[in-house]
Amino acid sequence: MGAHISIPMYQRAIPQRYRLVGQKCVKCGKVNFPPKAVCKYCLSSAEFAPVKLSGRGTVYSYTVIAGGGAPPEFAEIARCKGRYPVALVQLEEGPVIIAQLVDVPEEEEIFIGMPVEAVFRKIYEEEGVIRYGIKFRPA
Amino acid sequence: MSVSVVSYGVYLPYLRLKREEYISAWGSCSAEIKEKTVMDVDEDVLTMAVAAAKDALEHIEAEQVSVLALASTSFPYQEKVMAGTIMEALGLPSDVLATHHGHSTLAGTEALLTACSLLAQAGGKYALVVVSDAPSASTAQDIEHSLGAAACAFVLAKEEPGLVLEGAYGYVSEVMGVRYRQAGERGIRDIGVRSFAAQAYTRAVEAAVTGLLKKLECSSEAYRHVVLHYYDLRTTASLGKRLGFSEEQLKGGLVYERIGDTGACSTLLGLCQTMENISPGDRVLVCAYGAGSGSQAVGFVLEQEKPACKTPLSVLLEKKRYISYTHYLKLKGVI
Repeated sequence: MGAHISIPMYQRAIPQRYRLVGQKCVKCGKVNFPPKAVCKYCLSSAEFAPVKLSGRGTVYSYTVIAGGGAPPEFAEIARCKGRYPVALVQLEEGPVIIAQLVDVPEEEEIFIGMPVEAVFRKIYEEEGVIRYGIKFRPA
Repeated sequence: MSVSVVSYGVYLPYLRLKREEYISAWGSCSAEIKEKTVMDVDEDVLTMAVAAAKDALEHIEAEQVSVLALASTSFPYQEKVMAGTIMEALGLPSDVLATHHGHSTLAGTEALLTACSLLAQAGGKYALVVVSDAPSASTAQDIEHSLGAAACAFVLAKEEPGLVLEGAYGYVSEVMGVRYRQAGERGIRDIGVRSFAAQAYTRAVEAAVTGLLKKLECSSEAYRHVVLHYYDLRTTASLGKRLGFSEEQLKGGLVYERIGDTGACSTLLGLCQTMENISPGDRVLVCAYGAGSGSQAVGFVLEQEKPACKTPLSVLLEKKRYISYTHYLKLKGVI
């Protein structure tokens, strides 16, 4: 079963989902993404400054989703592509996030440490509403 | 007040379909393409628009953009303020004056000309014009073979060196049955009478181009590059000749053969292509056409520096992966 995200919930996260707006901890200076209530690094500050991340990073690890392994909201992509790569991307500001990889010439060419950059794509469609967000492509 | 293009961005989807795929599936290809661009399953007009606009804004502060003009014949929603998606994805200020243009392949130049006028009223420094298109038709129709996908974006500024807009000239007339789509339909169609359609195209483009030359008191030789909306090789070439343009002037903006018909984007992609081979003092003429019908000719002159561009079209044309016709049908949702 997939994790249903309601439209108001998705809407609240638009800046982070559309253009990677994170938060910089005023106390320790580390960047939190996705945004947190309390800094996950120093665990002692709840004061942040918004910061737009560059979208540049490297592949920390990756896998390929195939054979019915996709959550229901990604069923259309799985049906069309057969299989698709998903990566943990280490952003240059520090955070590691999970996202799909696109525009990859061949699956075998993905490697740990591969430079990638963020692209704006359709993530899935639900209730007739297109959910946009970030994926990554080879830089 | 002078308005100039100070930077631009282009986006082509990574996937390509070769002409041979049509020939092996259907026995022939009705379009004069070598290959064409195809959107992936997670792309649409808005994602392409964001990609092109991001490149155009590479050296521009997003906070300084005060006008956003968006154009496409094929927006993902028929009703919704889609400038909101673009504004959030790019981090533009929320007080940006936004306009949407659609309904015909004239939408691109319409957006450009509207942004020029709005920039005079807006307080900010820049206007962003984003033209993104991916026309569609039933795969059973000949007209479908040519349809590609692409986006381009232009940053306009007041009183700055760049590609300065010198003037525009428009033309409209009533022409029935040539490339149209009724409300609620997904694909374009036409009544398939090619000579009738070619005549309407020739009449419209000729009227706008000759009108502009007269208005600007320019001769046809004054232009280094001329980009006419592409109809077909023969019709467009003979029209160019009739208007007094040489092959040399016309070839710099020809992009159709490797991208396909990109609707509202077509002629402006041609403009982007000419930017790779232009020097200060050179003039460029662009004439867009929309069936139904209308045309808009726009004249530019390059003053000092040419507009900045992060990734030129010639580089994007080489970044690609070929797909099969079967995969293409899956992407179109046909199978």
